[in-house]
Amino acid sequence: MNINGLSFNALPPIDLPFRFFLTAPIFIILCAFLILFSGEALWLSRWQPSMLALTHGFTLGFLTMVMMGALLQLLPVIGGVGIVKPRLVVYFCHSTLVIGTLCLMANFIWPSTLLAISSLIFLVCSIGVYFFALAWVLVKKLSQGDSIIGFRLAMSALFIVLLLGAGLLSQSIGFISINGMGKMLTNNHALFGLAGWGSLLIISVSFQVIPMFHVAPSFPKLISRYLPSSLFILLIIAFFQPVFVVPIIVLIHGVFALSLLLVISKRKRKIPDSTIRFWQLAALTLIGLNIFYFTPNKYLSPLVSQQKTLLITAIYLYFYLIAVIQGMLLKILPFLSYTHLQQKCLINFSAMQVIPHMHNFLNKKHGQWLFYLHIMTGMVLFYTLVIPSAYWLLSLLLLIEFSWLLYLMIKAMRLYFLTLTKINSFVNE
Amino acid sequence: MTSIPEFMTSKHRECDELFTEAEAAAAKADWSLALTKWQSFALELTKHFGQEEDILFPKFEQATGMTAGPTQVMRMEHQQMRALVQDLDNALAAQDKDEYLGLSETLMVMMQQHNMKEEMMLYPMMEQNVADGEQIIAQFQAS
Repeated sequence: MNINGLSFNALPPIDLPFRFFLTAPIFIILCAFLILFSGEALWLSRWQPSMLALTHGFTLGFLTMVMMGALLQLLPVIGGVGIVKPRLVVYFCHSTLVIGTLCLMANFIWPSTLLAISSLIFLVCSIGVYFFALAWVLVKKLSQGDSIIGFRLAMSALFIVLLLGAGLLSQSIGFISINGMGKMLTNNHALFGLAGWGSLLIISVSFQVIPMFHVAPSFPKLISRYLPSSLFILLIIAFFQPVFVVPIIVLIHGVFALSLLLVISKRKRKIPDSTIRFWQLAALTLIGLNIFYFTPNKYLSPLVSQQKTLLITAIYLYFYLIAVIQGMLLKILPFLSYTHLQQKCLINFSAMQVIPHMHNFLNKKHGQWLFYLHIMTGMVLFYTLVIPSAYWLLSLLLLIEFSWLLYLMIKAMRLYFLTLTKINSFVNE
Repeated sequence: MTSIPEFMTSKHRECDELFTEAEAAAAKADWSLALTKWQSFALELTKHFGQEEDILFPKFEQATGMTAGPTQVMRMEHQQMRALVQDLDNALAAQDKDEYLGLSETLMVMMQQHNMKEEMMLYPMMEQNVADGEQIIAQFQAS
């Protein structure tokens, strides 16, 4: 283990992760309007231009946005160091990610060379710089535990998603030619994005946070040691043997879900907690998806079987990836606010008495409402995929759910600044 | 013989269990049980902090020459946790359930991110750098 340069206290300034968090729900609010104005046509197939804009709004605008912010925070805790020049890197990566995602979404709806080139440049710069800034830390600094290996794999998956995405975009504007491989590359781009970047990071985080925050036993060694790398290898093989490998990837998620439920059921800390309910929802979703995936089409209603791929992708995204991210945000938002304020009290320790506790930053009931809203919206999403005329209801529920999330974030930030003023007046006394 | 990471990590888990029992009792407003469990937790925590601050950290600092690095941050976090323990003492005395649960959630997250740094980095580093680690742990076990 390299111990030079370890500080343990490389917390990036609070506005850096919050910049990502606050932007994320705005993208889903934008998606809600996209759904409302696109009407029923959007739901015809995954290749619909508005559908592609929508999926990238969810995956880049929300998922990647939050995950990029959260990783900044996690690195000092698990790796002992933060990234170099965090402010510069974050200002650059955040702004280019926002502009790049907006250009990409617009390019799907109104294709133009200018929009395609802009999104290509901005997204490659954003994710590329972020990747190298984090890789510099992940390669150099080592800590114990299986999580760090999962983080490295997730970051590698992000890089592959970027390469494939950039390749597809370049092909669309005639920069390169990928004769006949377009669909295969698109499928692998989606697979690596969801099951690689998204899922690998969530799985690795779960190994660490579930046992610790809920006083539960560790995951079985076989799972924590081998599952992330097996998943990554399968994703690589999926380039060549998708028909054979994708069912195994689905099964691996089922194995993870069962072990997650087992660990959660053995937790000792059982006080009501919305974060754990989001985790349980995610695990049950993955088990349900296994059943759905392996059910032969002849047992499914034609309405459902026609949309099977889209349904599986949407449920995976909404009830697994986004569910866990929201659950984690319920812990991260109040904790970051608290811990940063605590750091300000080091000059005058008595100022600590003015810091509110975590439930003041984020009321437990408000977290529960977010959970219920998420279930309702997810169910309507499922319904809309089968009966597209319900699109307006989905749009409305997305608008409510993510405005609520945004409100919770702004409320926590407001309390943060109010308390900061109090601490400063204490220190100046 | 038990190594530094093994012993110190097992102590974290023991503290977690006492903490959880106290929290569960407070959630049910069983204040006498909450007080008993909380006092056991606070006692274990104080002992654990003492073993680190008085013996392990100085040994590590001596062996590596790092006096302003990880151990300094860990000491600071101990201070922050002590302040939260004090607040929880007050909430328990006032039998204020909401205040207790809000503070216990805060201490829990604070404690776990602190434990993560120690278990994933500092203790393995100690094992590598502190020559008489197992003897020190044998003394801890005997005390």
